[in-house]
Amino acid sequence: MTLLLHGLTPMHWAAAGAAIAAITLALLFVTNRRLGISSGFEDICSLALPLPYFQRQSLLSNRTWRLPFVIGLLIGGFVSALSSGGWQPTLALGIFDERIGFGPAGKLAWMFVGGLFIGFGTRLGNGCTSGHGIFGMSNLERSSFVTTLAFMAGGIATTNLIYRVML
Amino acid sequence: MIFGILFGFVLSRSGAADYNFIQSMFLFTSFQLYGIIGTAIAVTIPGLLLLKKFGRTIGGARIAIDMKPLNRGNALGGVLFGVGWSMAGMCPGPIFVNIGEGKLSAIAALAGALAGAALLGAVYPKLERPLHLPTAKSSHSIGVKAL
Repeated sequence: MTLLLHGLTPMHWAAAGAAIAAITLALLFVTNRRLGISSGFEDICSLALPLPYFQRQSLLSNRTWRLPFVIGLLIGGFVSALSSGGWQPTLALGIFDERIGFGPAGKLAWMFVGGLFIGFGTRLGNGCTSGHGIFGMSNLERSSFVTTLAFMAGGIATTNLIYRVML
Repeated sequence: MIFGILFGFVLSRSGAADYNFIQSMFLFTSFQLYGIIGTAIAVTIPGLLLLKKFGRTIGGARIAIDMKPLNRGNALGGVLFGVGWSMAGMCPGPIFVNIGEGKLSAIAALAGALAGAALLGAVYPKLERPLHLPTAKSSHSIGVKAL
């Protein structure tokens, strides 16, 4: 299987996993921060919303590194596209188009609803694949085992329901 | 930001930010993402142990890790996030990576995620008691400081 991005052959999983581990460890060793991305949604919210939840000190004190980090993610994706065949905006999305279909508006609505679940769920569960799945699990935190088990179960159930039961 | 760029590049080139690879992970038809996450954890565990033993950052500061508290929000939020991860084919990091790559549907996912996070922030005070969540004032820092 190749990537949707220019049909590239993906990196070997062992190399990608080791690189992710190296970045996670370097982030702690250099900046004293635990890896975590979904809090970035709250960082962005905190720029606009005066709710006490978004103005708590523990959030604001991490904004200084996390906002640049998520902007870095964006640049990383951009550089990856640019260096492998050019940056080209597209709405195409692999098997979503072949199996689920919908028009452009339907696809964007579907993605927005998916995003709602991601935003609400990650903040209620206090983390995502990076903060719980990689850092928390590696740090042997109980809440991370529970959350990771829950989001893997949620994802497996949903995808199988969509692609094996409904379609 | 440098770490973000490197992280984003790896997510982009490994399949972690790829709709098809995400679905084939959940369908158990591809080992790629299990291999990535498994390797990342297998390497990070000893790395963390070493760093904790060393106890200092490169600048000499004491390494402090905020542990995440365990409560009813973990299982419930986790399941909801899993549904969203499957629907969008992106977890939070790859949402940003996909926007950078030029996959326009990720912009809708980001808008949804920000709305979802805002919604959680708005109802958080009501969920604190039933779900045993830490109070917003101290949330995220209520956990035990390890080391």
